[in-house]
Amino acid sequence: MAGHDPGDGGDVTAPAHSPAAGTGAGAGTEEIVEVGHRPIREVNADIRKAVARGSRVRVQDTLSRHNLGVALPEGADLVFEGSVGYYCGGLNNGATIRVERNAGWGLGEAMASGVITVDGYAGMAAGASMLGGLLHVRGDAGPRTGVAQKGGDIVVEGSVGFLSGFMAHAGRIIVLADAADAAGDSLWGGEMWVAGNIGSPGVDSRIVEPDAEEVASVEDLLSSLGVGDVSRRWKKIVSGQKLWHFESRDAQAWLMI
Amino acid sequence: MCGIAGRILDRPGPVGADLVELMQAQEHRGADSTGFALYGEPRAEGFVVKVFLSDRGHLDRSLVELHDLITDHGGELTADPTWDDTGQSHVFIRLEISEPVSPVARWVDAADELEGVEIQSVGRSLEIIEDVGDATEVAAKHHVGEFIGTHGVGHARLATESTVLPTASHPFWARPFPDVAIVHNGQLTNYYLQRRRLERAGYRFTTENDSEMIAVWLSDQMSSGSDLARALATSVKTLDGVFTYLLSTADAIGMAKDRLAIKPIVAIEDGIVTAMATEEQALRHLYPEEGETVNYDGPGLTRVWPATTPATVAT
Repeated sequence: MAGHDPGDGGDVTAPAHSPAAGTGAGAGTEEIVEVGHRPIREVNADIRKAVARGSRVRVQDTLSRHNLGVALPEGADLVFEGSVGYYCGGLNNGATIRVERNAGWGLGEAMASGVITVDGYAGMAAGASMLGGLLHVRGDAGPRTGVAQKGGDIVVEGSVGFLSGFMAHAGRIIVLADAADAAGDSLWGGEMWVAGNIGSPGVDSRIVEPDAEEVASVEDLLSSLGVGDVSRRWKKIVSGQKLWHFESRDAQAWLMI
Repeated sequence: MCGIAGRILDRPGPVGADLVELMQAQEHRGADSTGFALYGEPRAEGFVVKVFLSDRGHLDRSLVELHDLITDHGGELTADPTWDDTGQSHVFIRLEISEPVSPVARWVDAADELEGVEIQSVGRSLEIIEDVGDATEVAAKHHVGEFIGTHGVGHARLATESTVLPTASHPFWARPFPDVAIVHNGQLTNYYLQRRRLERAGYRFTTENDSEMIAVWLSDQMSSGSDLARALATSVKTLDGVFTYLLSTADAIGMAKDRLAIKPIVAIEDGIVTAMATEEQALRHLYPEEGETVNYDGPGLTRVWPATTPATVAT
């Protein structure tokens, strides 16, 4: 386990109290990492050092900077006390990350596992190509939410923008409010659940009635997040499966935009 | 992948310095060249003319030719010309002129005949400043940070479809419409179709850049009875490609985004005081405290931000 090097030039506030013996240098403690205008590589290195010490990390003065908290391992526990820029939590590999304001484009892109929660808005392509884990947006999310998703769950308490679920292969996008136009466009195998209105379904997508077991699974997940409501009337968007057998001579039939 | 930004103040202020901050924060989006379209105190009549000269060695001769051109068209210089002292092989000249008798298009077209000369902008309040290099370099060379004005737009260019030259830098003036300029992040796919239509209507283009065409196309719409808001909305349907652009006029900045919405723009709107940029992190250089940001993420969005002018500022 990496030890804290006070001479490393980082902007880490070391815990004031001694860690519990045998649980890592900072286990159970909280450390603060300042972002400001420091190089992001340096900030992320400081975050990783604090995580390695077993500390919970509070990241301050985030200034909507890009690429914060990427590729963090299981056990990491971070809170960003402001807005973050592009690709926050990308390649997440088991960390628990909370963003107390908004997130920019590509939140949690290609994450494999872990939990990312955003209290505000998430920009375009949240959860793009994610493989697993949970992405929870308490506000709205932008266009192309869950584009090319390959697993895991995306829960958006607000609405999602157009082309959400585009070419998703697996996993669930669960939207408690509305989905804009072209919802689930070119879905391959994922599912998009919408409790509100759907602007329009995307090409080669179908809206179906989910069965009771599926609804229970979704509501169980939502209950665990404190937003369960069994009175919701879900619409589930799935693949029409026609593009599974794409024929180039029919290409014009698929052009909607 | 270019970066764009805009800034509106509620009274004349350090709009140049603000835009340098916004553009330097987006330097990673393209450092081939950087440019600014800045709006100072508007003249009741006459223009500021910004001129690019490709060979500094011809400066004396070109100054004489420009003077003769303006007088031939019924105008005159109202101040001594100035030019940059960067020592680069090219040079940027600034002229202040009275109202020529000829329309702008006529004397600007006539300037095409002058060797190595390119009119960069004409405006009662508009001045375009652009050069190769990132925002800090361009600002240092051309004193952008000292510019006092009400609003302006900026651009950090990653060259994709044309070469790295000062003249290929954004912003582009909407020749021959005074005070209209554009910065653009994206590419058009029906550029030549639209350009040929405009050329048949008599417009001349300085470059082969699609952004210049958008500015002229919008100005043509507005000169035909449309207002900025309607011109922006129509552009979303007419222009094909991926784009987000900011069009600046003497009294507003307009934004339009294509139907695929792949080019970002974020704004902080505090009454008339507004900042908009490709990336939110750039805005945070002007607004380090958390505030409400508006993400224009959706497809086909347009927006007009009104800009004050010194003449309308209450005292």
